[in-house]
Amino acid sequence: MRALDYIVPESAAAAVALLNEHGETACPLAGGTDLVVDLKHSPGNVQVLVDVSGLEEFHGIEETERGLRIGSMVTYGEIMENPICIEKIPEVVAASHTVGAVQTRNLGTIGGNLVTCVPSADSAPALMVLDAEVTVTGTDGDRCMPIEDFFVGPRKTILEPHELLADIWIPKKMLGKPSSFSKFGLRKGQALALVNVAAALELDKGKILEPRIALGAVAPTPIRALKAEAFLAGKKPTAELIDEAAQIAVTETKPIDDFRASANYRRQLIRRLTQRVLTRSLEIAAER
Amino acid sequence: MLVEINVNGEPKSADVPPETTLLKMLREDLGLTGAKLGCDVGDCGTCTVIVDGVSVNSCLMMAARANGSNVTTIEGLANANELHPLQEKFEEHGALQCGFCGPGMLISAKSLLDRNPEPTVFEVRDALAGNLCRCTGYTKIIEAVMDAGREMRSGQSGA
Repeated sequence: MRALDYIVPESAAAAVALLNEHGETACPLAGGTDLVVDLKHSPGNVQVLVDVSGLEEFHGIEETERGLRIGSMVTYGEIMENPICIEKIPEVVAASHTVGAVQTRNLGTIGGNLVTCVPSADSAPALMVLDAEVTVTGTDGDRCMPIEDFFVGPRKTILEPHELLADIWIPKKMLGKPSSFSKFGLRKGQALALVNVAAALELDKGKILEPRIALGAVAPTPIRALKAEAFLAGKKPTAELIDEAAQIAVTETKPIDDFRASANYRRQLIRRLTQRVLTRSLEIAAER
Repeated sequence: MLVEINVNGEPKSADVPPETTLLKMLREDLGLTGAKLGCDVGDCGTCTVIVDGVSVNSCLMMAARANGSNVTTIEGLANANELHPLQEKFEEHGALQCGFCGPGMLISAKSLLDRNPEPTVFEVRDALAGNLCRCTGYTKIIEAVMDAGREMRSGQSGA
């Protein structure tokens, strides 16, 4: 690795000031599971690492009146062991378990995963179906937005060079919502998703209420299948209806051909996995 | 920059360039060559060490980030008189062939048993998913970990 400066700021404000001062030659360091690999093999023009992984403002998991807050520097390992997450957002925990392996989950942070912004990020669909919001902090203060608006393209987020992802919020009404996550990779361990899907919904007098479907690795960013959601809303669930919704979801995606799988294979995965997560979410909703 | 860590119970420090990984510091500055440099991108797990109670890929962790931490490496498993039960069971089961994956396998297995003294086979497989072996396959390794867990629970080893 080439020579770098390494700075450990004392606060989020100090980190923002450092990023602002150094511009694009500075890069915030979180868990490092992506960044350290990049620094070894394609460092770009990074000269200064600003280690934000220990900043207290970016840690912690708390339930408040607003909902559940997860600090951006919380690791996947911490999410998997957190009793509030296990109880209130079990499918985010399930998605976390499919990321990398134990060692990378102990280093890698949920915020780092979102900022790296690969289309296959496993936490993204599970958070999107829970209407997650993110807080971004920069020289002009904080701004909050739906998580969908945070993703711009492959490896590109809405963050300005001086900004940092501070925390992730799941609104109170979405906690404990019937939800399901499914991922298909080429292996069970340490595999990138060919497709990952999450769903969340409720049943109201036997009809589907507020359905959410989110998919990863099927477009330049993780996406919501809004047409399939609109198709399901207010209808009585049947196997045929679920399959039709899954087929609509397929039309909303743009999967790629690459060395891992063909676009056609991915489309078949999207249909089956979407069916699966909707069916499982309905089962959970029906049990209540 | 000066990095101070507690390794296997002993305070250690080294003045390293800021871009140094924890693995490089352990191997080249502290002379602890048990953790191996394998893929260097976090896939193979042979660099695995325990930092403040959790296992990590030391090739992906900057040394500066480990400053002030407690680190356990493979050198910290055995004492002067006896092997750790995991090491004994790996030997007994022939769970290592070339041995290159061994330090990482043993550290991942120790990290699992520290948290979960009675794992299922599935949990052992899950815990070792980040450690690649290219010689023996995984069956004997998994059997050795299960067996070590049983022995440690029975308290026969005194570990």
